[in-house]
Amino acid sequence: MKAVDGCSIDIESGTVVGLIGPNGAGKTTMFNLISGFERGSGEIMFKGNRTDNLPPFKIARCGMVRTFQIPRALTKMSVLENLMLAPTMQRGERIWNVCLRRKKVLEQEQAIKEKSMGILEFFEIDNLKDEYAGALSGGQKKLLEMARAIAIDPSMMLLDEPFAGVNPTLSRKISGHIDELRESGMTFLIIEHDIPAVTKISDWIVVMNEGRVMAEGEPEEIKRRKDVLDVYLGGEG
Amino acid sequence: MTELLGTILPYITTILLFASIYAVFALGLNLEWGFTGLINFGHVAFFAIGAYTTVLLNISGCPLIISVIAGVALAGFFGFLLGIPTLRLREDYLAIVTIGFSEVLRSILLNEEWLTRGPFGVHGFDRPFHDVIPYQHYNTFLLILFVAILVLVYFALERLIQSPWGRVLKSIREDEAVPSALGKNVFSYKLQSLIIGSAIAGLAGAMLAFYITYINPCTFKPIETFHAWIIVILGGTASNKGTIVGAIILWAFFSGTKFIDRIVPVPFESHQMGAFRMIVVGLLLMLLMMYKPEGIFGTKEELALSD
Ligand SMILES: Nc1ncnc2c1ncn2[C@@H]1O[C@H](COP(=O)(O)OP(=O)(O)OP(=O)(O)O)[C@@H](O)[C@H]1O
Ligand SMILES: [Mg+2]
Repeated sequence: MKAVDGCSIDIESGTVVGLIGPNGAGKTTMFNLISGFERGSGEIMFKGNRTDNLPPFKIARCGMVRTFQIPRALTKMSVLENLMLAPTMQRGERIWNVCLRRKKVLEQEQAIKEKSMGILEFFEIDNLKDEYAGALSGGQKKLLEMARAIAIDPSMMLLDEPFAGVNPTLSRKISGHIDELRESGMTFLIIEHDIPAVTKISDWIVVMNEGRVMAEGEPEEIKRRKDVLDVYLGGEG
Repeated sequence: MTELLGTILPYITTILLFASIYAVFALGLNLEWGFTGLINFGHVAFFAIGAYTTVLLNISGCPLIISVIAGVALAGFFGFLLGIPTLRLREDYLAIVTIGFSEVLRSILLNEEWLTRGPFGVHGFDRPFHDVIPYQHYNTFLLILFVAILVLVYFALERLIQSPWGRVLKSIREDEAVPSALGKNVFSYKLQSLIIGSAIAGLAGAMLAFYITYINPCTFKPIETFHAWIIVILGGTASNKGTIVGAIILWAFFSGTKFIDRIVPVPFESHQMGAFRMIVVGLLLMLLMMYKPEGIFGTKEELALSD
């Protein structure tokens, strides 16, 4: 059996698409394929270019960033360092700049630091900036994971269960922020089991089951689909 | 008093000379393992390449400084060559290939006599400023030179580590999926780390040759790689300061046990002493792992949080 088989999804830029489906439906595997962490036999296009043969870091540089369902905090680095790692194409990432153009590197480093602090404040973990990321709680690691992805200024974000384990107030705040970012043109593909939350922010819902797309449509329409209710939404609908 | 000083000073100078050479050697490994998480079990090979290149070029007429630069560059280049096929694969591939390489290299040093002079080794090469420094002060001069080199390497590494470049290395050590997902070319950074770490080992090799004035294939046994690992672990992985202290402790211990039979009676022949020392080192490492696993200068949090 294949984890994902014969799937086709189209995502219009500037929209929020929710990806739902039962456990083991192949949603995370789909993310791995899109972000280059796993190889498949299909074709993936992003902004008019094929990305299915690119390594993950090149896909990220194209402006598409993903988060991990199980947060991957860099445990022995501080929370702030975790965030400051994110911006792409930093001057100081090149050895000769570090050696020869110290002043410019430090300038940019300061700017990155300020921006990172802003993002940490938004996610309400700025008081933890000097803690080792390994010391964060599960929910805080989840927030750090998302904060780090936002810090690279992507044009498209793949969020794997962003609300799992996050407190309701902050969930709403993050939803609000996703809305704002969408307004400014960012595209989202969001895996989420919290149906009310995901239907509220999504323009379009894709339902996966057993490695295939079994339904897609507008949130209200999906909520009424008999087959979706049977395999996934069940009693909730 | 002055008499005692007269006997003790050269002894301390010897310890510090070895300690500074091995501190530089181990700093290279600390960049690779401590900061990038690369497992290099053949670090001694780059030590040997640096030493041999320097002295062989020099005895064939090349100015000393250029010979050293060539040795450092060649050691770095071999780091590059070994990194290319291995660093894209799982981390243990580098470990296996570097072990193999260090043994192959030693057999080349032994057997390719036209190039390396085989088991008899190389001597008679120049030492820095040996014609201007009076013989009786030469070791003192060398110590000053080596400490200066060590300080230079230390500060250069600290600057690199504290830069965004160093931040990417540390993120690779922690979990390379994260930098990949954030657009960093993990392979390229690992390669850079291996090249620089190897080049630093090459520099240490040249230093060693200058001090001991005679090198042969036996100078570069696999045990030297092990010494570098002991130093890094003792001082605290990912701490450059700790690495330097680790080197001093190890050499103080080695020299201490070398002469201990002159002070207190020990029940060993001198040839058994070497084995005995390694047993003690092993025991000390075990105790360290039990009571201060993060090393002398490592931070407890860093180790306690590893999952
Ligand atoms: N590396 C792997 N090797 C083999 N099978 C895998 C692998 N990763 C996932 N699978 C299988 O593929 C299927 C889909 O897994 P996936 O993680 O994509 O599910 P998911 O839709 O994200 O589920 P959840 O909602 O629980 O996160 C599962 O049956 C899983 O067991
Ligand atoms: Mg999943």
